[in-house]
Amino acid sequence: MKVAIVDDEQHCIDHLSTLLKPFGAGMDISCFGSAEDAIAGLDTLRPDIVFLDVQLHDKTGFDVLSSISKRDFSLIFTTAYEAYAIEAFKFSAIDYLLKPVDKDDFEMALQKATDKVEQSQLHDRVKVLLSHISTHNSPKRISVPSNDGYVFLLMEDIVRCQADVNYTHIFTVDGKKYTASKTLKHFEKLLERQHFFRIHNSHLINLTYVNSYHKDGYAILKDGLKLEVSTRRKEAFIKECGRF
Amino acid sequence: MKCIFTLMLLSIVVHSYAQQFQMELDSLIGIIESSPVTNQETIDLRNQYTKQALFANPSDTTLLAFAQSTVDLATELRYWKGLLLGYERVALVYQYSFSNPYKALEYYHKALALTEKDKDLESMGWSIYGGIGTLYYEQEEYGKALEQFKKVLHNDKNLELTATANIANIFGSLNQLDSAIFYYNKALDLEQVTNNPTYKANLYSNLSLVYSQANQMDFALASAAMSIDLIEQYGIEFVRPTAYANASMAYLGNKDYDNAEQYANEALQLSEAQGNIFLQKSAWGTLADVYSAKGEFSKALEAYTKFSVLKDSLNNQNRRVEINRSLLEFEFEKERTIAQAEIDRQSTIKTASLLGGGGLLAASVFGFVLYKRRRDAVEQKKEAEFRALVADTELKALRAQMNPHFIFNALNSIGDYILKNNNETALEFLSKFAKLMRMVLENSENKSIPLEEDLKFLELYLQVETKRQPGKFSYHIQVDEGLDVENTLVPPLLLQPFIENSIWHGFRDKDGIGQIQITINENQDMLICSIEDNGRGIEHITNGNESKKSFGVSITENRLKILNKQKNKEGRLQVIDLGEQKGTRVEISLPLERLF
Repeated sequence: MKVAIVDDEQHCIDHLSTLLKPFGAGMDISCFGSAEDAIAGLDTLRPDIVFLDVQLHDKTGFDVLSSISKRDFSLIFTTAYEAYAIEAFKFSAIDYLLKPVDKDDFEMALQKATDKVEQSQLHDRVKVLLSHISTHNSPKRISVPSNDGYVFLLMEDIVRCQADVNYTHIFTVDGKKYTASKTLKHFEKLLERQHFFRIHNSHLINLTYVNSYHKDGYAILKDGLKLEVSTRRKEAFIKECGRF
Repeated sequence: MKCIFTLMLLSIVVHSYAQQFQMELDSLIGIIESSPVTNQETIDLRNQYTKQALFANPSDTTLLAFAQSTVDLATELRYWKGLLLGYERVALVYQYSFSNPYKALEYYHKALALTEKDKDLESMGWSIYGGIGTLYYEQEEYGKALEQFKKVLHNDKNLELTATANIANIFGSLNQLDSAIFYYNKALDLEQVTNNPTYKANLYSNLSLVYSQANQMDFALASAAMSIDLIEQYGIEFVRPTAYANASMAYLGNKDYDNAEQYANEALQLSEAQGNIFLQKSAWGTLADVYSAKGEFSKALEAYTKFSVLKDSLNNQNRRVEINRSLLEFEFEKERTIAQAEIDRQSTIKTASLLGGGGLLAASVFGFVLYKRRRDAVEQKKEAEFRALVADTELKALRAQMNPHFIFNALNSIGDYILKNNNETALEFLSKFAKLMRMVLENSENKSIPLEEDLKFLELYLQVETKRQPGKFSYHIQVDEGLDVENTLVPPLLLQPFIENSIWHGFRDKDGIGQIQITINENQDMLICSIEDNGRGIEHITNGNESKKSFGVSITENRLKILNKQKNKEGRLQVIDLGEQKGTRVEISLPLERLF
């Protein structure tokens, strides 16, 4: 298995190499110390797994991604504390590790990366990632993991999400329903700063599609659907609608 | 289809064209500004200006400051009539520019209070009642609105026309069409209407709509024609778009599709120029009906699509209004409670001084006691509010205070670890510690976090500690099966100091393996958390000069005290010594709080 580590700090490369050591001789590790080296080297190397640092001197790991032509590997970002980047990773369902890297977290990420599903649709997920990094005010998508791969939904098209134990049903404005293999909590954390509001234990709704609030304790959506607002969320919900 | 009535504003009649109107306004403000002194005349002019300017441009929010300074000037001059009108103007600005019915009502009531004090002003009160009536009408509280206008109708001849017209409007909105028709006709018979073509045109236009709804199409058409005649004759642009929209409906009802189409199109153009979405929607709706009756289905579809889009956008606006209204209601309730407390206080003072003035010593003593008790109550309330504020701040400080304490203990562990072990495991330990620190930072930001998060944190903390001294102790976390950990809220990092105590003090110098059992249970309305170890026992740890209570424990006690005060509940902390070498049990009971 070919593994590439892209990081501008030698001690980080050393740390990752140490963590890879127990996985033995099958690992063929190549290291790149700058964005330029990585861009030049990755296309010919055709790695299976890439560990990519976010900050690379005056460039970023995103620059590397947008400059290479073949994105058919498993990708794991590494970062110390770039909040904006972490949010973008979550939106695009791309894995990341926080530095200093914890051994258990590392093993879990590596395990996931060797799974073939993880490599599928990376190209599309990277597109989602880059759109979130870019400062353009273009409509943004999120990657939704389901049992058979990913779907990419425009955030503004999502009307609501409904919990179903460990799954979440996502309803879009065109009347379609998608089932994601993540909990509602995952989507709540992802979308709460995007006009979404958790009105109930099992409902997360897009405030743009709210028509009105009925004083008996339910929200009425534009398509006429009535959803219960739990009493503890009522005040915050009304406030949020007013702000929006 | 929802009915459209042009609002019958009290005694406001706009005859002139917009341009001319603006000129009048400019000359008014000119006179006001050039006047060297402020006297009753300038106040009258200011009041006149406020009203005209408001209806020329209702979105001009700067008028509020102007109206309020008129009130101040009138108060200074002790010019009560001017003050009354000033209050009414402020109310109007709140009503139409700010869409804040509560503030408007407050000022209407201030104006009414003046009429109660001064007999001469009594006759002016009825227009205030009328204002309150329109306020209720806009809030769709038709019963209350009707009551106000009936009062006005019976008491003030000058306002007979507006009151009658508004009563008709209310019946129209209530869909009591016969009553509406009766009152419109009654209004049209009144003497006042004969020399007021604007009002007349408006009444005919509304009447036509009501006839359409009552399916009396002949009358609808006749009324529409009367309205349009008057509009053409006197150039009443104010009523034109609504009248055209109503006329098109009347023609549609009479199956005169060409005329219906023509009037709907004209209403559309006018209302587009005005930016009146409500009328545009209504016109597209009529057009859709006209086209489909004529068999022009693609045009009908197009009109219907436009109708739907406008309807959606209107619904959106309604939603905002509704939400705004609930917010305002909330604010109003809050202010009212405070105001009520103040009123109560003052009335007690009044009672007290009245009684005291009676010269009866006993009564005055009684009054004073009454007054004092009330004053104390108010002061206590203030003090309680202040305390809550302080408690919140303190709590935040306490949460933050735990961090340095915890950090140094953990750093000690790492130092300890580096001394005793090899670098690779030290690195592993460090990365775990970094992860732990991230969680502390994130969690201590919040007042409360889901129990699930706190458990994750405890688990990680215990992992770090077991790595630090392998084989020294083991732990077990047991959570009540029925407990929804995602949905239960706890104050962050509350248990951690006790676990830390067990490890650092309980197990020190202990032979054999220490054990920590953490149990979380639900009991009625309480969450019971217990931490039990088999260490030396809390009473037997204090040997020599070691301080009795650890830093962490006293912080937790303080946090619980404050939480209890804030929530008015009985959270408890109990530290039980199980005997020498038998261990310690800590029990914390918290009021159960849920996220949803």
